[in-house]
Amino acid sequence: MVEPLPRLPFRVTEFAPSDIERRLEFVNLKPEDHKRIGAVKAEVLDHLDEHVSAFFDHLAQFEEAWGIVGRRDLIEEAKRLKREHLVAMVAGDYGRQYMDQRFRLGQLYSRASLEVSIFMGGFHGLMASIGRRITNRFADDPLTGFEHFTSFKKIAFFDIAIIVDAMMADREQTIRQQQEAIRELSTPTLQMRDRLLILPIIGMLDTRRAKQLTDELLHAIRAHRAKVVVMDVTGVATVDSKVADHLIQTIDAAALMGATVIVTGISAAVAQSLVTLGVDLGRLTTLGDLQGGIEEAERILAVRHGRRSSDAA
Amino acid sequence: MPVPVLKQGGVLIASIQAALTDRDLLQLEADLAEKVGRFRARGVIIDVTALDVLDSFATRTLRGIAATARLRGATAVVVGIQPYVAMALVQLGLTLEGVATALDLEEGLELLRSSAAARGP
Repeated sequence: MVEPLPRLPFRVTEFAPSDIERRLEFVNLKPEDHKRIGAVKAEVLDHLDEHVSAFFDHLAQFEEAWGIVGRRDLIEEAKRLKREHLVAMVAGDYGRQYMDQRFRLGQLYSRASLEVSIFMGGFHGLMASIGRRITNRFADDPLTGFEHFTSFKKIAFFDIAIIVDAMMADREQTIRQQQEAIRELSTPTLQMRDRLLILPIIGMLDTRRAKQLTDELLHAIRAHRAKVVVMDVTGVATVDSKVADHLIQTIDAAALMGATVIVTGISAAVAQSLVTLGVDLGRLTTLGDLQGGIEEAERILAVRHGRRSSDAA
Repeated sequence: MPVPVLKQGGVLIASIQAALTDRDLLQLEADLAEKVGRFRARGVIIDVTALDVLDSFATRTLRGIAATARLRGATAVVVGIQPYVAMALVQLGLTLEGVATALDLEEGLELLRSSAAARGP
């Protein structure tokens, strides 16, 4: 049976202790690995600066990494965290605090817009530097040296996974925030005059946005006591059947609140696809362009007759 | 809780204040049918602003009230359907066909006035 993939952690506080253990199992860390890592402590600790430099000197070669190596404040902090990282790597305690520190390092890289691919290159440089020291020490017994380095690499891969997770979580958070910002901007409801609202829709209409639009429109009808709404879809390039159904439901719901919705600016392509999809457009009041829609709306408002939903149906 | 029915000129106003049981709804339907005749009302307004749920029984009863009122010579208007209630009704496929709807009490009265004017004095 396939293990379900662990959910991508968003904050390190969301990690359960069992997650950490699971991750250590993923890299196959055994008690003998702890022993071997302890045995090569000196190879790491005695040459800390050399190893840290191997990482950052590698990054410095690439202009894509200038976001981190070009900034004095960041680079100092990053070097300090990296040194702390190496010390912790051979200390043997891989718990919550250890993960938290790796996670913060990943966030720092992400803030400095360091790409995962460059980070991997740098990390490889760091491993090569440490590997060289370990191989030197076991020069007369390469197999044992290799075993020690392999044990060390298990922790390194454990770390890489956490750091990359942190970088991705950070990036996802940015994307989420941007989506939020776009959503807030996307559908203004404009009051054109007393009892008349204009709802211009521009761009992609997906189910989520259609839902939000419904919500805003119905509340705007109540807030502005609107009698007529002109929904202009000139800026909408495509509509799928789900979204079309949702829009029609919105129009029906508006009718229940006593408002008439006029749809304008349906492009040739959208019109054709709606017909092809077989969406029931019987109840839709449509007009060619916004101007026509507003004229029709003013006619309805001028007449001001009561309108029964049965008459519209 | 029974719904109080107020008389304002030729219009009966039933203002629903709290969630209704099916029995209350039936009571309201009977009550309005009787009062339309007694007060010679030309219009009936049912205000559902306070309701955050309208189920299939409620919508059926509202349709029934409208049909009964029409047979007794009055127009029924349902006013104050909340945005989310409206959307829920549509999504559940519960229609208020044959029932006039308006935004609020004021709009409902306006609607009755204008339809009375259209019918002539």
